[in-house]
Amino acid sequence: MVNVTQSAASRLARRIGDRGPVREFLMFSLAGDLYGVELTRIKEILSPPPITMVPRAPRNVIGVCSVRGLLVTVIDLRRTLRLEERPLTRRARILLGVAESGEAIGLLVDEVRHVVRLAATEIEPAATALGGDISEFVLGIGRPAGEFLILLDLPSVVAG
Amino acid sequence: MAELSDKAREEFLSEAQEIIETFSRNLLSLDASLKAGISDPSLINEAFRAVHTLKGLAGLFGAVRLGALSHRLEDVLDDLRLGRVDLGQNVLDVLFGAIDAYTRILKAEKSESDEELDLDVLFAELERIGAGATVKESPVADYELEPGLLAVLTEYEEHRLRANIDLQMRLYRLRVQFDLNTIDKVLEEMKERAKRHGEIITYLPTGEATSADMIELDLLMASRDDLATLIGSLGSDNVVIEEIPRRPRRSADPGTLPPRRPTAMGRQESEGLPRDLERAGFEPTASLRSLTQTVRVDIRKLDHLMNIVGELAIVRSAFGRVAEKLRGEGHRKLAAELQRLHRNFDRRLGEMQDGILEVRMVPLGQVFDRLARVVRQISREVGKEIRLVITGAETEIDKLIVEELSDPLMHMIRNAIDHGIEAGQRRVEVGKPLAGTIALNAFQKGNHVMIEIEDDGRGIDLTGLTEKAITLGTLTRSEAEEMSRDEMLALIFLPGLSTRESADDVSGRGVGMDIVKTNISKLGGVIDVHSESGIGTKMTITLPITLAIVSALLIQAGKHTLAIPLSSVSEAIAFDEAAVRQVDGREVITLRGQTLPLCRLDRLMGLEVAPDVLVRRRFVVVAALGQRRLGLVVDFLYGQEDIVIKPLGKSLSGVRGFAGATELGDQRVGLVLDAAGLIEEVLAGADAPRSLERANG
Repeated sequence: MVNVTQSAASRLARRIGDRGPVREFLMFSLAGDLYGVELTRIKEILSPPPITMVPRAPRNVIGVCSVRGLLVTVIDLRRTLRLEERPLTRRARILLGVAESGEAIGLLVDEVRHVVRLAATEIEPAATALGGDISEFVLGIGRPAGEFLILLDLPSVVAG
Repeated sequence: MAELSDKAREEFLSEAQEIIETFSRNLLSLDASLKAGISDPSLINEAFRAVHTLKGLAGLFGAVRLGALSHRLEDVLDDLRLGRVDLGQNVLDVLFGAIDAYTRILKAEKSESDEELDLDVLFAELERIGAGATVKESPVADYELEPGLLAVLTEYEEHRLRANIDLQMRLYRLRVQFDLNTIDKVLEEMKERAKRHGEIITYLPTGEATSADMIELDLLMASRDDLATLIGSLGSDNVVIEEIPRRPRRSADPGTLPPRRPTAMGRQESEGLPRDLERAGFEPTASLRSLTQTVRVDIRKLDHLMNIVGELAIVRSAFGRVAEKLRGEGHRKLAAELQRLHRNFDRRLGEMQDGILEVRMVPLGQVFDRLARVVRQISREVGKEIRLVITGAETEIDKLIVEELSDPLMHMIRNAIDHGIEAGQRRVEVGKPLAGTIALNAFQKGNHVMIEIEDDGRGIDLTGLTEKAITLGTLTRSEAEEMSRDEMLALIFLPGLSTRESADDVSGRGVGMDIVKTNISKLGGVIDVHSESGIGTKMTITLPITLAIVSALLIQAGKHTLAIPLSSVSEAIAFDEAAVRQVDGREVITLRGQTLPLCRLDRLMGLEVAPDVLVRRRFVVVAALGQRRLGLVVDFLYGQEDIVIKPLGKSLSGVRGFAGATELGDQRVGLVLDAAGLIEEVLAGADAPRSLERANG
């Protein structure tokens, strides 16, 4: 797991480069913590449509829903990140993205905040303190203006 | 090539593909007629035409390799057509080789690669056939007879012509003017007089009469007498007699064809193109125009249209609801009007759906042709004589299914040839005909297409099969002893099983049937096997006609609304808990005297059980595919609806039991049950010993 984290971090470091270009992350909250995913990976933010549970599905997949005729696989980030499950609130949203396989993926989150711009200096490799369980999904830690933002690697989250 | 648009190029490639397929079909017919001992010149003519068209196309699109091969092939076919070369298995082998070469060339053209394809061997073989032309000249070709004339000869006339030539008769053309009023009498008289010298083989109008009440006929006559004698006997003002000269023998150098001379009938034969084509204005350049009636469409575009139809169907349901609402609120007139529109819309939408479905349908013959080629090739490789009998090639099925069928069918045919059909010697010993027969039958049965692959070989060796399974550890001996015949037959679908000891080129690597089965179930189909020792094996594939849109039964199981394709439902009955019995640890009921295994969907799927389920009346939906039936216990039946099935995403691809999902209206999504998969899962799970279950899972 540690290796995965390190390679994710070094991947990130390489991509950002020395000059430290600024990247945009969409910030959202989940079980009281703040998380971010790279904005370019998110196509749309949706109020959750009715979701159909899929029996026998992998644990992190809640089910499927339809967005204007497109069949979307909905992933519960709480389950992926081993967080306590709660019923949806009215602030809950689905972040719509497209996996590398072409599959439409919806990430279920508690609440969407805003977009943050992070320079390379504001991102540090994931702390091992996060625990081995979820470090495989973490790209790094963002620290904009004193906040603590867990940056998720979307492809790993989809791979679940 | 560079200035050609991609679209034009694509058109060119797919047209070339079609022509090659036609050519391949022609060769297969030739092969069949050759085996039957019949020679059919029209088949060779057709093959010649196909290659000729291809040559023209290749020229237009600057496809050099395609042109070069077509050109050489055209020469050989011309030799065959004119009887300069005899058609034999060896020649056919080379011609079939040309199809492989064509396929490789097209592939290279598609990827725009200039890679060296090494066609030299094939070219050399084609050359060799051409070089053999002088030796094997057929007697008819010795005469400068017009191909147009040869084409219209009846079988009897052709026979007479050959017979006369074999008797060293000379051929004459008599151009005779007849008065239309007396032609019957005069012609009879001519025939009578001609008998003294020989025989009139045929007569054809020339269309060149001198006046309106005259008709001019060309009579083809064979006679042992010389021209002078005939003129003396038959000649008159109205009769012009000419001898049809023999062609000069071909020189030994195959590279130079004899110069074409005006034919005896006075018309110039042009460039080896059969006259009937010429008449139809069928010039090489016209071949692109000839197909303007046809539009080629990417199947994804049809899928897109089908999705729109599916969404319109949801709109339609909304119309219905609005109409109901209006009626409920007392707007009777408006409601009736909307109801009428709704019905009209409904009907048109149905027509549109059928129309799109029809476009997706292609005849199974497409894949059968490929199989026929494979059969020929393999049977020559392994030295077994095989007769392939195809019926129902015109049966239509979804294009996508046809594409996916090719590989599984090929595997099954290979198995039939290699494992099924015995070696020739052995067949004769057991009193079977030397040539093995493989029957490929297709037919439609309700919403399904059935494909049967039947051979008259040795049948599946059940003892060998079970022994092998025991050796591989998939089965214990005691398990094997308890197995029924059908269960033993089902062993051939286990991974790694093959009854032949040696792994060879054709099959016998033991990776065949399990993959075949997986591929067929992906298409929503099932395979049934029947085999009689010493008599043969029959595999029956049951497939849905289309994957795009299906009528489905909407059901409730637990809290889930599920759809099950109607094509796999035979009936639905009320469920009587008291009628359930336990047989071998499995729940069954008796339906019209037959035992029906049950599957409680909510338990199998671990669905949340609706609270009132214990008091409510429940139902059994009988799913039937091929020979197998399974009763699905469900909580409620909603009724029938046409649905568009969308595949589940990749992260759900491992989930068994579902064929996809569909929109139910009100934004809700319903899962579609995979009946074939469920039947497989439940029956295999309970039927087979535990180890077998493991192997399947």
